[in-house]
Amino acid sequence: MEALLEQAVEQMQQAGVSYGDIRLREDRRENLAVKNGRPEHIASSESAGFGIRVIVDGAWGFFGTHRVEEAAVEDVVKQAVAIARASARLVDEPVVLAPVDPAVARYETPHEKPPFEVPLEEKLGLLVAASKAMTGANVKLAQAFFAAYETHQRFASTEGARIEQHIVQTGGGIAATAILDGDLQVRSYPNSFRGNFATGGYEYVEAMDLVGEAPRVADEAQALLAAPTCPEGRRTIILDGGQLALQVHESCGHPIELDRVLGMEIAYAGDSFLTLDKLDGFQYGSDKVTIVADATCPGGLGTFGYDDEGVPAQKTPIVEAGRFVGYLSSRETAPAIGRTSSGTMRASGWNRIPLIRMTNVNLLPGNAGTLDDLIADTDDGLLMLTNKSWSIDNKRLNFQFGTEMCREIKGGRLGRIYRNATYTGITPRFWGACDAVCGPEAWGLWGTPNCGKGQPGQTARVGHGVAPARFRNIQVGVKA
Amino acid sequence: MNPADRQRRLLDIGRKVVETSGADETEILLSESREFLTRFSRNRIHQNVGTEEVWAVVRLVKGKRLGIATASSLAPKTLETAVASALAIAAASEADKAWPGLPKPRPVKAVEAYDAETARASADARADFAAEIIAAARKKQAEAAGIVQTAESSLVIVSSAGVAVASSRTHAEANTVVTRGDGSGYIEGLGTCLSALNGRRIGQRAALTASISRNPQPLEAGRYDVVLEPAAVGEWLQYLAYVALSGKDFDEGTSPLSGRLGEKVTGEQVTIWDNALDRRTLPQAFDYEGMPKKRLSLIRRGVAEAVGTNHYRARRLKKRFSTGSALPASSSAECLPLHLFMKGGTSSARQLVGEMKRGLLITRFHYTNILDPMKTVLTGMTRDGTFLVEDGRIVHPVRNLRYTENVLEALGRIDGMSRKLTLVPGPCVVPTVRIKGVQFTGTTEF
Repeated sequence: MEALLEQAVEQMQQAGVSYGDIRLREDRRENLAVKNGRPEHIASSESAGFGIRVIVDGAWGFFGTHRVEEAAVEDVVKQAVAIARASARLVDEPVVLAPVDPAVARYETPHEKPPFEVPLEEKLGLLVAASKAMTGANVKLAQAFFAAYETHQRFASTEGARIEQHIVQTGGGIAATAILDGDLQVRSYPNSFRGNFATGGYEYVEAMDLVGEAPRVADEAQALLAAPTCPEGRRTIILDGGQLALQVHESCGHPIELDRVLGMEIAYAGDSFLTLDKLDGFQYGSDKVTIVADATCPGGLGTFGYDDEGVPAQKTPIVEAGRFVGYLSSRETAPAIGRTSSGTMRASGWNRIPLIRMTNVNLLPGNAGTLDDLIADTDDGLLMLTNKSWSIDNKRLNFQFGTEMCREIKGGRLGRIYRNATYTGITPRFWGACDAVCGPEAWGLWGTPNCGKGQPGQTARVGHGVAPARFRNIQVGVKA
Repeated sequence: MNPADRQRRLLDIGRKVVETSGADETEILLSESREFLTRFSRNRIHQNVGTEEVWAVVRLVKGKRLGIATASSLAPKTLETAVASALAIAAASEADKAWPGLPKPRPVKAVEAYDAETARASADARADFAAEIIAAARKKQAEAAGIVQTAESSLVIVSSAGVAVASSRTHAEANTVVTRGDGSGYIEGLGTCLSALNGRRIGQRAALTASISRNPQPLEAGRYDVVLEPAAVGEWLQYLAYVALSGKDFDEGTSPLSGRLGEKVTGEQVTIWDNALDRRTLPQAFDYEGMPKKRLSLIRRGVAEAVGTNHYRARRLKKRFSTGSALPASSSAECLPLHLFMKGGTSSARQLVGEMKRGLLITRFHYTNILDPMKTVLTGMTRDGTFLVEDGRIVHPVRNLRYTENVLEALGRIDGMSRKLTLVPGPCVVPTVRIKGVQFTGTTEF
């Protein structure tokens, strides 16, 4: 493998590229789904290949292949160079990369139990037990999930970088679906859409206590069927960790991607309201809101050693006490703000180019104590629990989220359950309405394993650390 | 290698795996593709990529226990590993008493979906196409962003039940968002043949919308009649299929059509079908179990008639054959109709706007998502050209709006459709439609 990398670098240099890199990558994944006490869908996947990215005549070209053999290298370099030359016909200013010290390094995700070495029977046993523990007259689907991802990547650049990384990510969860009289309600744990995910091993899933939580999840799904619809109005809301993580993802994580800001994604996912003139001055939120992008955060789903341009993982300030101070950037985009790359370029596989992706975009803890403390401090409000749906406009301003469950708060105590709760807002006004963030004792990491971006499409696994937070005067529900 | 030779080679590889797997039943899906995508923004190419990929999806059955494994190489050793993985999964799994066996072969109709010129399209050809779009935008002092994509692929499915089918196809797609000041417009084109698409026209039309959508005025949320252009109709149709037309969801009771076939579920003017054999879509001869594609009536004059099934769901639903809607075995979604059509009306798009007293003309939607699957309630935003229409004329552009709407109910309020049907990504072949009283629940700042 080392010979293939060195050959590629040599071929790129011979072809006259001003910059070139190769990522040789092997991916392995396992997905287990159990439904109503029996395995429903068990699939494994392995993938290997390499991709070569070059700058020729000031323009980018990329070609990826499944042919992991030295005989393929010359052809792949030629294809990448030909593509770059075609790009150069429609480039007015040459690509300029922010400098980075070429690293020679190795990185491995800390993990105790390699998830692929745990016997399949053991993993299925846990999911079957959790699924069977979700019972109820109207619980029609009792599902349990497990997924593991493993990436071995070697990176080499014409600048001299040589980086080897081994990333291990694991996750899982449970969901009960209750159906009655044309209504369907889902309750999940620890998060919706197949659970929660982290860098780490099987120990992460074991610690979830899926079997222990299963009866509550089933009971809540059933209770939702009988609950009233959440009334419309302007309310104080508290978001739990799972919902707040997605709120951060959609209304902070995406709009701070500098490629979006520069228009590179405008035809697909859109651009961003956080235009360059807003850097270092714009009031993104209240003084309770401090956000960092932290690729070094232990256990975060978006944690790694180096990005796919060889830039070291970093912790970058994004919002400081409400003021917008930083973007997620790459070597190509960072010069637009006069900075160096914040190290966020990642590709979903050997067959895709790296793009600016969220790392762990974390809302730092405040001083509002535990979730119970925050509820006790709230006279009249709603507690929104676990994401159910999401949508946001193409500049990331107007959003609408739905949650699986909502609890009334009266006089500092939890009251009745509501179903089909939604809330909506405009991003900076919403974050400006944040008047409390729970403390470190309530702070936790949430993994988003399905972040879509780019053309051809890519799915990234990213993380968000949050503690529950409170927002005042928010529009709940829709006016009919 | 020409597509016929490639198909033969893939069939040989597939047969060998099936013969040597050691399982009771074996199915293998093999695909080989070359895909290229040129991406531009601010009137310049900023990303330009190509890949060559192969994929093998092995589905094995031993004692009614299933195992599925995927690999990205066709090397014998890799395929042996995939077979071993699938067997290990099957061994750890539980017997599915409802397993009906792999489907037996059925006659498959050939479709014309391969264009040699598109398969050979060079990076320069894609740059030329992008240059045409950009030139049209520049003429209007505007900026273009978008893609030009070409691809060729071959797909083979072989099984121990006797299935051995192969096909090859090409894909060409281009789209652009043209921005001029605070105005934007969007146009797309797709098909099997790059030469059938016109970059200059795509650029001109998007630039025109960008020009007239400048200085959008705020408009209060509320109920408005709308004319939805095909891109918006296609997006709703895809989501409708996703929540309502899967045989798996229907069988499990999580589709709004579960137990409702034969019932009126929307307005009489709504007729939706699936037909991968129709030349107006991106044709496909067979599904991912190798079963023939055919015309499948899904909703006829407002009455639910069928959902898309694979073999497993078809048998559970007491049908002899699937509808040819199987997804690859690696997908837990199992089955879905993928080539949707919606019947049009008798109007032109211009007439639909011209007859509207007061309402909105909507180019397309953005970030649609599901709020309530059983009631087909979706939410999403408008983008790239939303206009207020009064007395049949566009008055001015408006800022984008959020809709929250029960789509089956909304389709029931269609009061006009274009005769012309347009192919949009999905793929969906749909008319422009006019709908009474769509619910808009929010506004944004642009």
